[in-house]
Amino acid sequence: MKIFARIARLVRSRRSSNSIVMPAAAALAAALALAAAAPAFAADPEIILGTEKTAWERIDILVQPLNVFSGGRDSQAAGELLEQVLRDDLHYSGLFRPLGPDDAAADSTAVSFGIEGVLEGRLPGTAVTAAEAAPVLSLKLLSYPGRQLMLGKRYRPLENQLRASAHHFVDEVVRLLSGEPGISLTKIVFARGSGDRRDIWCVDYDGGNPLKLTANRTLNLFPAWSPKGRDVAFMSWRKGQQGTYMLDTATGSVRLLAETPGSNLGPAWHPEGKELLVSLSKTGQHEIYRMDLQGRIKRRLTISPAIEISPCWAPGGRDIVFTSDRTGTPQLYIMDADGSGRRRLTFEGRYNDSADWSPDGERIVYACREHELTQLVLIEATGENRRVLTDGRWRNCEDPSWAPDGRHLVFASDRTGVFKLYVMDVAEGTVRQLTDGPEPDTTADWSP
Amino acid sequence: MTTAKGSLKDGIRIIALVCMLAAATLMIAGCGGKDEGLTDDVTIDAGAAEQVDQQVVPEEPAETVPEQPVVQDFAAMAPQEYGIEDVFFAFDEYSLNGESMAALEASARIMMEHPDIVYVVEGHCDERGTVEYNLALGEKRSIAVRDYLVTLGVAKDRLRITSYGEEHPFAHGHDESAWALNRRAHFSRP
Repeated sequence: MKIFARIARLVRSRRSSNSIVMPAAAALAAALALAAAAPAFAADPEIILGTEKTAWERIDILVQPLNVFSGGRDSQAAGELLEQVLRDDLHYSGLFRPLGPDDAAADSTAVSFGIEGVLEGRLPGTAVTAAEAAPVLSLKLLSYPGRQLMLGKRYRPLENQLRASAHHFVDEVVRLLSGEPGISLTKIVFARGSGDRRDIWCVDYDGGNPLKLTANRTLNLFPAWSPKGRDVAFMSWRKGQQGTYMLDTATGSVRLLAETPGSNLGPAWHPEGKELLVSLSKTGQHEIYRMDLQGRIKRRLTISPAIEISPCWAPGGRDIVFTSDRTGTPQLYIMDADGSGRRRLTFEGRYNDSADWSPDGERIVYACREHELTQLVLIEATGENRRVLTDGRWRNCEDPSWAPDGRHLVFASDRTGVFKLYVMDVAEGTVRQLTDGPEPDTTADWSP
Repeated sequence: MTTAKGSLKDGIRIIALVCMLAAATLMIAGCGGKDEGLTDDVTIDAGAAEQVDQQVVPEEPAETVPEQPVVQDFAAMAPQEYGIEDVFFAFDEYSLNGESMAALEASARIMMEHPDIVYVVEGHCDERGTVEYNLALGEKRSIAVRDYLVTLGVAKDRLRITSYGEEHPFAHGHDESAWALNRRAHFSRP
């Protein structure tokens, strides 16, 4: 009973946060509530809580130390790593407050869930015989206080897959308790470098496994994940000429799609993955075009002497948000996918750019420059409810990109003096640093 | 080395003279056990002529110094070394001011005297604003410069445009003095 009441409360609080509506979660909670013969959604003051920041309540979850039966110092370290990844994933999901056995709150009757796990067998790479080759990681989600099994998974992680096993399990937990897919296995691509080089890098959503994907000794910018999460379109220079390129992250191969005289800015994927939007200046003016994956122009969408850049398709593929400075300052506009029906979205701020449409199609995040600082702003696709997400403590915040959960954003900020990537939980208003190191990181894109 | 043959200008004569003097200085100064042949390795450009001393060791196998008056090879030099100057812009602007136009008029004269040389006009921006809009703005600056040079008589196909936005700053500060230096159109060779 208690579990279901907590789930119901979680879902109610989600529903009350404007525009993050999750029908699957609601359905799940309703079904659970019915199964428990509890009055579904009785009048509760939490429903009418105002801002998103206070509408979310984290569920306590106890992460027990892993039982490690594989011996050796490496195994103990692996167990600790797994525990840390589980806790981080639960915390980063925004849905849970992970507790350890030593936390004061862990003894409280308020704890509804616990995760227990066992790691057996030799770790990858240390096996003596073939039979020992793969360790077994068993993870369980239990409901407290009865220790009723809610979810059990067994993994046989290969080398370097320990973290991924923990990520996968937390995503299953999130899916079970919220009805939403988790984001623990997502990745973020970005451009890193200074001087005459920027390389495309990829990093796990929690900052793990940073990996350089290009090494072509030139500028590479604006990486963009394909909807299937395998290919990355990006912009690069060759002998001073910009072009649109495609990187296959599975093989590492790179191919040139198109090298149009002048600018070849910002590839953006159609939600079905068969076309890109690019901004080309071959006519002497920056205009937005639809291009197929062979680099052929399919259609020109804008005609104006103004700069028209930064296009982004709406999740359904019907509309496109983009930047135009036709009024003298860069502002956001929305047009139909064929270029018709153009209407202005932003009227506040003299410098708006870098729009990204939320996965549920309802909101758009963008960068707004005011008072000598670039800040992140959230606005509904209708143009209503403009809300500034950052403030001067964050100095400049640029290139926001939505996580597939529609709750988290990645963006670049130079608050430390150099641009690094940060992840914001928009619902809760919290931010964590994603990348570190001395070189600037910019133009990030969150994988599907 | 034959680009400007037959059209020796006063400036070139002077530089050639300086180069010969430099070569002579080197021979007089000597260098280790080498009594001869050193002058064969001197790369001729204005910079070498100014900073000649015993330390001059060319980085690459250089061309032989002609015995007769040197013809300056603009094609092997950075455009800034022979008077093609960068031009600067106001914040978020790509229109040319009077100073920029005067500089471009001087550049156009040099370009037309040496019609074989092709240039890349790079547009640059300061760090303020977004990466993408700055790339577009930089290209507008590049186009503005190219178009003005074309009206002055430079062939359009000798001027390639590109933009590096805020990605290649010339000055690394975070104040107006640095920003002003970074809002520019810069001439390079393809």
